Amino acid sequence: MGLEVKNVTKTYGEKTVVDSISFNMQKSGVFGLLGTNGAGKTTTIRMILGIIKKDSGKITWNEKQVERKYVNFGYLPEERGIYPKTKIYDQLMYFAKLKGMNKQDADKSIKYWLKRLQLEEYTYMLAEKLSKGNQQKVQFITAVMHDPELIVLDEPFSGLDPVNTEILKGVMIELINKGKYIIMSSHQMSTIEEFCTELIILNKGKTVLQGNLNEIKNSYKANKIEVETLQNIEEIIKQADLEIIFAKENSYEIKVNSEEQGYNLYNMLAQSNIKVNRFEIKKPSLHDIFIEKVGASK
Amino acid sequence: MKDLITVASFTIKDMIKRKSFIISMIIILVLIVVGFNIPNILNKVKGDSKLGTSKILLVDKENIFEGTLDSLNQGDSLYKFDVLLENLDNEQIKEKVKNGEYDCSLIFTKTETGVTIEYIVESVVSFGEIPKEVLESFSMLYTNVQISKLDLSIEELQSLRTNFEVKVTETDENAASGNSLVTMLLSLALFMGIHFFAFQVSSSITTEKTSRIMETLITSTSPKTIVVGKTIGAGVVGLLQILIIGITAVISAIVFLPEGALNGILDISNVTPIFAIVTVVYFILGYFLFAFLYALTGSTVSKPEDINSANSPIGFIEVAGFYLAYFAMINPSSKINILASILPISSPFSMPFRMMLGTATTSQIITSLIVLIITIILIAKISIKIYSSAILNYGTKLNFKDMIKIYSSKE
Repeated sequence: MGLEVKNVTKTYGEKTVVDSISFNMQKSGVFGLLGTNGAGKTTTIRMILGIIKKDSGKITWNEKQVERKYVNFGYLPEERGIYPKTKIYDQLMYFAKLKGMNKQDADKSIKYWLKRLQLEEYTYMLAEKLSKGNQQKVQFITAVMHDPELIVLDEPFSGLDPVNTEILKGVMIELINKGKYIIMSSHQMSTIEEFCTELIILNKGKTVLQGNLNEIKNSYKANKIEVETLQNIEEIIKQADLEIIFAKENSYEIKVNSEEQGYNLYNMLAQSNIKVNRFEIKKPSLHDIFIEKVGASK
Repeated sequence: MKDLITVASFTIKDMIKRKSFIISMIIILVLIVVGFNIPNILNKVKGDSKLGTSKILLVDKENIFEGTLDSLNQGDSLYKFDVLLENLDNEQIKEKVKNGEYDCSLIFTKTETGVTIEYIVESVVSFGEIPKEVLESFSMLYTNVQISKLDLSIEELQSLRTNFEVKVTETDENAASGNSLVTMLLSLALFMGIHFFAFQVSSSITTEKTSRIMETLITSTSPKTIVVGKTIGAGVVGLLQILIIGITAVISAIVFLPEGALNGILDISNVTPIFAIVTVVYFILGYFLFAFLYALTGSTVSKPEDINSANSPIGFIEVAGFYLAYFAMINPSSKINILASILPISSPFSMPFRMMLGTATTSQIITSLIVLIITIILIAKISIKIYSSAILNYGTKLNFKDMIKIYSSKE
């Protein structure tokens, strides 16, 4: 069971916007689709859902085409859209019916999701009267209210305030626990790191990195130490022959090439009786990996 | 099918709940009711004898009409005559007109050459001259009084009162019959209705593009369902609106207009149930034809300000079709009628007209319907294909070349 994207290509005139990309999603969870602006993420999503036709390649869900008759899917597009002059309940009911729900189930689901996303008070309000963040949450409901097995979320957290981001993160965890297959495109690396198990990074339509997030991160050596002390330790860092990336009061970010260099510094601090509040040997974050990969390909 | 009904019913609810729709509907209905009340309003405000029942005092002191003036009140008339034979002086009569008891007064005086009528009225400018038909009635009555004094036999009387009967023989077997005003009004109403409601489809699609809801929509149902569902929805609203307007107009005419006021102006004796059904069919088909064309243009723009320029070619085709039908109406027996009633852009406006005049043959009606239906299917197919690709275009307006490119592209 799962999604398979194989050698998919899309060109507009002379420009190849997606160049023979392939990936599999065989387990439930969140699959991350990363890339710079114009990398081909939205085009890939649109091809997966059949909104636009691919030029070549194969996209299947359980070895069948991704069509509504074969797969129950939900989609939150990057372009936030809503009927401004229609009441929230009415437009959700409209989409619920189009997604095959009967009136009773739709009513129950709409009310559940409006409550879950703290939108109950807007149920019978015209959509244009809602803030952009709340409109986005309404659109999120459109993507999940019919309990789809495959959920495609294009930049789901962009434009949300911290409170709404937390609400949506809670919903994401619920969906993961329910065994949903989620494809998520995002610029926010922290969000991808929080939820994704597998990912693909695109740049100018080409795949620059893909695989299991933990495996990818483990394949990198430690490159940084973060230290917080009660005293100034700049002399000790110099003695260890290490370079300070950033220092603020007694907090330091130090560049290393291996874990060993980190352990060595730690021993030196201990021998000098330095009181250490925090000492962390860090591997490259997804953000670092993304910059490295996309920067390298540029 | 279920999705089609969902899209259509959402379109209907969305259209009829809009403030613009409700306000325009109220304005139209108020205008209809006020329009049919204009005669009554003017009558009350101005006292216009030509437009309502006016009270006229006839003073025949010399009994010139020998008591026959009362006969003027027989039958339907816009005038109520009171006859006065007693000897009131002119000042008293003027007072009766001045205080509004009568709209005007006519005083008859016998002279050597005939009869003089003194016309007492508050203002000739506001009330008007003595109506021609009233003067003719006096002349007729007076003639009858004078003839009766000649003591003629029945045969002699009949020979004096010869009726002229007209019998029409038309050399053209397909010559038109019926009231052309009714049919022209009908064609105009069809044109206005089709244009207005078909245009709504275009506007609705562009609004969806503007509000960026399109991507959510096309992953919820097929483009074909959206286009056809919207077209049906807007069409149902159109028919409903026409029905409400029609019913309001009929009720207003019955309630507010004097009985028989429209006789001779609007002759609907040729309106049979079959004619009514076929006219509705032409309205629906004509609507579908132009609605699909407007759906196509609506999907090529993403800004509301571009709708008018995108729709203008379709508007031009529509107006050309209507004028072709109109020119045919002016000359009902010309061959251009056959062309106008079969060409799909003009047949919805032309064929009902020809049917009402009785000039369309059954084979022509069937041919016209077949041509129209085939054209609608072709246009719908093209529209749906272009719509499917064009709806995600959020840049500049697509031109004709782009549309051909989209249509000829592979699936």
